[in-house]
Order: sequence, then structure tokens, then C-alpha cells
Amino acid sequence: MKLRRVAPTNSGLRKPRAAIALAYAVLLVGVAVALVPFLYVLSTALKETTSLFSYPPDWIPSPVYWGNFESLLADHPFVRWTFNTLFVAGAVTALKLWFDSMAGYALAKMEFTGKRGVALLFLLSVAIPISALIIPLFFVIRYLGLLNTYWALILPPLANPLGIFMARSFIVSIPDDLEASARLDGASEFTIYRKIVLPLIRPGLVVLGMFTFMLQYTSLIWPLIAVQDSKRQVLAVGISGLQSAFLQDWGLLSAGMLLAAIPITVIFLVVQRAFVVNDLSGALKE
Amino acid sequence: MNEIRSATSTPQLTLSLEEHRRLRKRYRRRTTLTAYAFLSPNLVVFVAFLLIPVVWLFVSTFRTKGVLGPAEFVGLDNWRDTFTSPLVQTSIRNTVVYSAMAIPAVFVIAMVLALALNAIPRGGAPTRVALYVPTLQPAVVAAFIFTFVLHPDFGVFNFALRGLGRDPINFLGDTSLALPTIAGIEVWRGTGFWTMMFLASLTALPNELYHAAELDGAGAIRRFVRMTLPLLRPTFYFAVIFATIVNLQLFDSVFALTDGGPVNSTITVSLYIYRSLFAFGDIGFGAALSFLLVITVLLLTGLQTFLLRERK
Repeated sequence: MKLRRVAPTNSGLRKPRAAIALAYAVLLVGVAVALVPFLYVLSTALKETTSLFSYPPDWIPSPVYWGNFESLLADHPFVRWTFNTLFVAGAVTALKLWFDSMAGYALAKMEFTGKRGVALLFLLSVAIPISALIIPLFFVIRYLGLLNTYWALILPPLANPLGIFMARSFIVSIPDDLEASARLDGASEFTIYRKIVLPLIRPGLVVLGMFTFMLQYTSLIWPLIAVQDSKRQVLAVGISGLQSAFLQDWGLLSAGMLLAAIPITVIFLVVQRAFVVNDLSGALKE
Repeated sequence: MNEIRSATSTPQLTLSLEEHRRLRKRYRRRTTLTAYAFLSPNLVVFVAFLLIPVVWLFVSTFRTKGVLGPAEFVGLDNWRDTFTSPLVQTSIRNTVVYSAMAIPAVFVIAMVLALALNAIPRGGAPTRVALYVPTLQPAVVAAFIFTFVLHPDFGVFNFALRGLGRDPINFLGDTSLALPTIAGIEVWRGTGFWTMMFLASLTALPNELYHAAELDGAGAIRRFVRMTLPLLRPTFYFAVIFATIVNLQLFDSVFALTDGGPVNSTITVSLYIYRSLFAFGDIGFGAALSFLLVITVLLLTGLQTFLLRERK
């Protein structure tokens, strides 16, 4: 009997039942707070806006009213906004992962003149808020003749330094011997980057990619300024426009929010496992 | 001594000192070129979309206010306006008060949820996804969701109050409630992000230490305070700096929910910058305000780095 009690501690910390029950209770409350508001949105999206004001409220709409979704897809370029958002966020993510893994490799594994200066430039720019730069960025983009284009949405977000430091921290942890032996075999730096470094830091890049994609998917202030043309607009701006143009049409707004939530949630479902294994805070470790 | 050296590193000794130095210089030049080739894509976008805008911003703070007409040097007028305008002071105060409410709240809630997630034997994956769903939404969407939930006429919250026989509360229309309400909404949206961040660090902690502490009779709370918190120091360091940078830029939810109202009780620095360009066309003033934000964030980040530095 006594021996049996000792054995399980090997497989992890022994947790008392009460603690586990408490943990489940806490998580249940957390999940409820996170998800219940969406049920309210769902309920609003499936009924006519006029019935919203009835008291007591009917939470489960009957009959189900699809008019909000129809009007969203027919009267507004909602599909176009979704495409724009996915395209812009995808392009930013792809370019950023490429740029950052290259820069991270240089900063992690190469000794070169001016390294401290370059590192300092990137480090200082962590602290420069995008909303402080919207005015000059607007004029830079206008000067380049790129207002109202996809380029206006894709280029400025590339100057975000956070990913460089994350990529650097992933690459620093690769043992030096690995590239040294490849170098002795006559491999060029680019071959080492492509054939050795990239495959090894792939799990980290998945997290960095999801993070970049999410930031881009949710960004509002810059797209709001860079693009006025409704056809080039992204979801966040389009949805906030639904409110000002059709004040108080809560049903339409709810339908839009629900549809906007679907793509990013699906993408997260696919990559979520990688999130727990990787610690983003490594980005700013010495 | 010399004999031992020649045995271990023969190739170097065959070169004269002069040759050695020249080769090393050439090698250095080559690695420097390679390194800059690897850095060049980032350097180009940083110069174009960060360095040039910052310089442009700085120059603009000394120029005329209007969009129309040629630029004209006005000295420190814009800076003086920035420091004396009462609305600027309000927007700075709102931004700081908001951050002071939102950041500690989201950290505590996320830490509790991460500890709970770390403690449960199964069901972790679906719970993580559910908790993360709010984080995936654009701030505008979160803002509108809570416009419904808190609406004085048909929000769930006020239905409940009415059921209890109380008067409905207009959360976003009250000058003293609007800012805390926005902080609450941002906490709702940010909790998933920080929970995952803390959970990732928690799972990386060495298990053996905890076994030892448990055997020594340290209780759960003691273990958390004396071991977990100190071990998570690098995570907190990142979290505090990152959260400060993000929260001092609060724009999206204010823009969608209150547009700075009622009576400027929720106007933030970013919203004011946006307005000075697109509502007033006052670029010089907006530039000075933007530069003030840059300096503030830089100073705060520097201060936090100093305070949270790992002691060696």
C-alpha cells in the first residue's frame, strides 16, 4: 500500500482532488465569459432588428430569420472584404516570416561590422507605436503613389521588429556545430539557412506566423487611413463602417461579426497545438 | 609552450602574422557583406516605413499647422500647444488610467486561468481554444459585441437589472463608467492571449524543483510565490513591456464604441492623433503629439527594462 502511494509522484506532481475541481470550476467560468457573448450575437443575427426591443426577450429566435445574412452578402462587399483581409494578412505573414528568419539568422550566428548598431535600431523600434506614425506613413505612402492599393496595407506592417527578435531567439538555440560542419562541407550561408536553420525553427515560425496573422487580421487604424476605396477595404474597417452607415441595424452588424470570426477561428484551431509548446517571451530574453 | 601550440593548430602557424591579419580582414569583410545581405529586406522596410517617418515626424513638429499652403517654420509653437492644451492632458490621463486598470486586471485573470489549465488532467485543448476565441476577434468586433450586451435598451445586463427592479445603467454613456467599461472589454479580449503566454511558460518550468519543494513540505501558495513567480520573471518582463506598448496606443475600441465621448471622458492619445490629421487637418500639432507618444513609450520601455533587469 505504501509503495503504491509513492509511485505516482514519478509521473508529475500529485494534485489533490479539490485543487483539480477548483481548476475546472475556474475554467468553466472563464469559458462561459469568453463564449456567452457570442451566443447573444448569434441570437441577434438570426432575428429581425425590430424584435430586439421586445421584453421579455426571446433568446431563441423562432422562426429563424436569415435576412441579415442575405443583406450582408448582397448589399455589401463582405466577401470582398474577407478576401482582402485574408490576402493582406497572408502576404504580410509570409513576407515577415521570410524577412525575420533571415535577419534572425544574421543576428544570431554571424559576427559583422555594425552588428550592435543594427540590433539597437531594431530594439528601439520595438518601442515606436504605429499609431504615432500614421500621419507620416500616410504621406510616405501617398508620395509613393500607393494609397488605395494592397501595397499600402502590406508594406508598412513589415517594419515591425518583434518577429526579428523571436526568430533570433529560435536560431540562437541551434547548436553552432551543426552549421559549422555544413560550412566545412562547403555549404554557403544561404544553403545553411534554407536547409538547416529553416527546418529546425519551423515550430517556432508557426507560432510567430499565427501571431503576425492575427495582429494583421485585427488591425484597424492603419487600414482605415491607407485605403478609402470600399473594394480594397479589410473586414475590421468594413464592419466598423456598417455601423456608421446604417446606424442601429444590429442584426446586420451581428451577422457580419459572426462571419468575420469564422476564418481566423478555423485557422487557429489548426495551429493551436504549437502555441503551448512555444514560449513567445523568449523573444526578449538576453 | 610553443611546441604544444604548433601541434594543435598547425595551419595558422604556416602563415606569417601579416598574412594572417590580411586573411582575417578579408574573412570579416565577407561575413559582413553576407550578414547585410540577410538583413537587407528588413533594413529596406525599416528605413522606408519607420526611420523616414520618424524623421519626417520630428521635422513636422516645427512646421505650420495647416495641410494647405506651403510649409512654414513655426519654431516650438506646436510643442507649446501640445503641453498647454487641456484636451491633450485629458487624453494622456485617460490613456494612463485605462492602462493602469486594464494591464494588472488582465495579468491576474490570465495567470489564474493558466494555473488552472496547467492543473487539469484532461480537456485542455478545447478549453484553450474557447478561451482564445475573444483574442482572435478584431477590437471593433469585441466593441460591438459589448455594445449589445451592455445596451441600456436591450442588453442582457440591463435586462437582468430590470428583472431585479433596478434602473438600467448606460455603461458607455456615463462619463465615469465609460473608461472602465472599455478597459473591461479590452480585458475580455486580451485574456486569451496572456493565458496562452503564461501557460507556455508554466509548462516549461522544471518539474523536479516542484517535487523537491513538495517533499520539503512547501504548500501550494508558498510554491507559487517563492518558485513560480521568480521563475517566470523573463515572461513577466516581456509581458509588462509588450502590454504597455500596446495599451498606450488604445484606439480601436474607443473609435468603435464612444469616439472619445461622452464629453471627452474616453479620448485617448491615439484617437487625438487621428483626429488632428483627419478632423482638424492640424499636422504640426498631430506630429508633436505623436512624437510625445514615441518619447513616452521609449522612456517607459527603458525604465521597465532597467527595473525588471535580471540580476546577475
